[in-house]
Amino acid sequence: MTPSVAHVPIVEFHDVTVAYGRRPVVWNVDLAIDAPCLFGIIGPNGAGKSTLLKAALGLVPMVGGSVRFFGAPLDRVRSRVGYVPQRETVDWDFPVNVMDVVLMGTYGRLGWFRRPGGHERRLAAESLDRVGLADMADRQIGKLSGGQQQRVFLARALAQQADIYLLDEPMAGVDVRSQESIFRVLAELKREGRLVIVVHHDLRTAAQWFDRVALVDRRLVATGPTAATLTPENLNRTYAGQIEVLDELARAVAARGRTP
Amino acid sequence: MILVGIAYNTLVVAAGVAAVGFAAGVVGALCVLRKRALVGDAAAHATLVGVACSFLITGRRDLATLLAGALVAAFVGLGTLVLMRRFTRTRDDAATAIVIGVSFGLGIALVSGLPAWGYAESAGLEQFLLGHTAGLTASDAALLAGVAVLAVAAVAAGLKEATLVAFDAAFAAASGWPVAVIDYLLVALVAVMVVAGLPAVGAVLVTALVVIPPVTARYWTERVGSMLVLSGCLGLAAAVVGVAVSAGRPGLATGPLVVLAAAAFFTVSFLFAPRRGWIAQRLAAARMSREWLQDRAEHARDPGGMPPAMFPDGEPHP
Repeated sequence: MTPSVAHVPIVEFHDVTVAYGRRPVVWNVDLAIDAPCLFGIIGPNGAGKSTLLKAALGLVPMVGGSVRFFGAPLDRVRSRVGYVPQRETVDWDFPVNVMDVVLMGTYGRLGWFRRPGGHERRLAAESLDRVGLADMADRQIGKLSGGQQQRVFLARALAQQADIYLLDEPMAGVDVRSQESIFRVLAELKREGRLVIVVHHDLRTAAQWFDRVALVDRRLVATGPTAATLTPENLNRTYAGQIEVLDELARAVAARGRTP
Repeated sequence: MILVGIAYNTLVVAAGVAAVGFAAGVVGALCVLRKRALVGDAAAHATLVGVACSFLITGRRDLATLLAGALVAAFVGLGTLVLMRRFTRTRDDAATAIVIGVSFGLGIALVSGLPAWGYAESAGLEQFLLGHTAGLTASDAALLAGVAVLAVAAVAAGLKEATLVAFDAAFAAASGWPVAVIDYLLVALVAVMVVAGLPAVGAVLVTALVVIPPVTARYWTERVGSMLVLSGCLGLAAAVVGVAVSAGRPGLATGPLVVLAAAAFFTVSFLFAPRRGWIAQRLAAARMSREWLQDRAEHARDPGGMPPAMFPDGEPHP
């Protein structure tokens, strides 16, 4: 990991707190990411990982705190931030085909009333090609497998041409082959100098793929390089009480170690 | 000469109502795709209050005045819905039901009470309940057609934005689109079409013109654009059938006929549409089952083998 030249972090969470009703789901999270990398946000179910992401994007209101991208509030840098929501949040029976969905990634830059043209179509086709779905462009989205649907969402984000990508559980309900294909694309994005933040629940693949992680259980438990952070002690504090999970995770982490 | 005049007027009115049917189908398709089908119903039931108040305040009963009042009332009804959703802990469906019930009750009380309170000339307002095209003039029809053209133009202009929000509002919001504003514009457009549909279909049934054609159209297409056009055509056809049948039978309200025609289109589509229709689905399920059994009989499959991600869908593979 090369140290960042800039003094301003790419993303900075400052004292972020979010509540649903009176129940805090994210508590006092301070987190700064200085350099492009594959960054995992890891934690148990209900730990507020997705909420943290949504708060950063302004999709849920914060009780307190702020999130800055490149030192600026989100509204000034929207076009540089790409988003992949959870797959189950949309109706896959919606009457659009794969190309229609990927083109939606270009709408932000197009602005009001301008329709996608040749340039946008080429961009969408390239994005589809990167996720290995070039031959699916005309398919109705409901006829895709879960893994393919997730790759369509990734292609739509690629068409946003962002510098920061936020992905919400992109591996949930996705077959192993699609997972590997998605992680390969994410690794490419990192090599191109982009920051990729992934909300992720599977610790085994986390140890394998991410450069840095943040362990979250409503509050931030630990953050840093993956191998140094996924220690039994930190995991114990994050998954407190979930003995079976812990046993399995400890073994998995010990077995894999850290692959570059 | 008089006969020719009547036929001419009927034709003009039919054309105006047909335009409204088309526009209602187009706007309604976006509304259904955004899963806001009941919004039109809330707006529609609130309109009667507006019709009655408009008459009370202005003393006039020309169509433009009454419909202007209806539109204001529709917006008030929808505004109440938004406020209830935000400031009370009432759920969406319950809030909608309350707005529908209360505003309609108030409307009926006003419309039926007016003659008893000495407003003899208010007779005829109750025709907005179930729709009645016989009393419409050519200039009324021109007004309705103008509104319809504007509504379709608005949809054509904002189709990209509306589709984005309908499909994935979270993604739209994250990429900087003002989702709430786009939603309000869509709901306002629905209210406009509901009001434009009042004279022909009536407050009770006009929502059917906004909901049934889109749901019917969905059976035949997998793309938003063609769904909108088809939905518009179905709305137009239902409106024409309703006007034509009621024109020959004085006293027969137009609204129920329009809704019945739309329901007939829906029934045919639900049963016979290729792929999405009920019969096609049953046949496809039976075929899949047969092919699978055959396949299993031919290759003695390892019972512990992994299932494929999806059954082949029968399309020829290259």
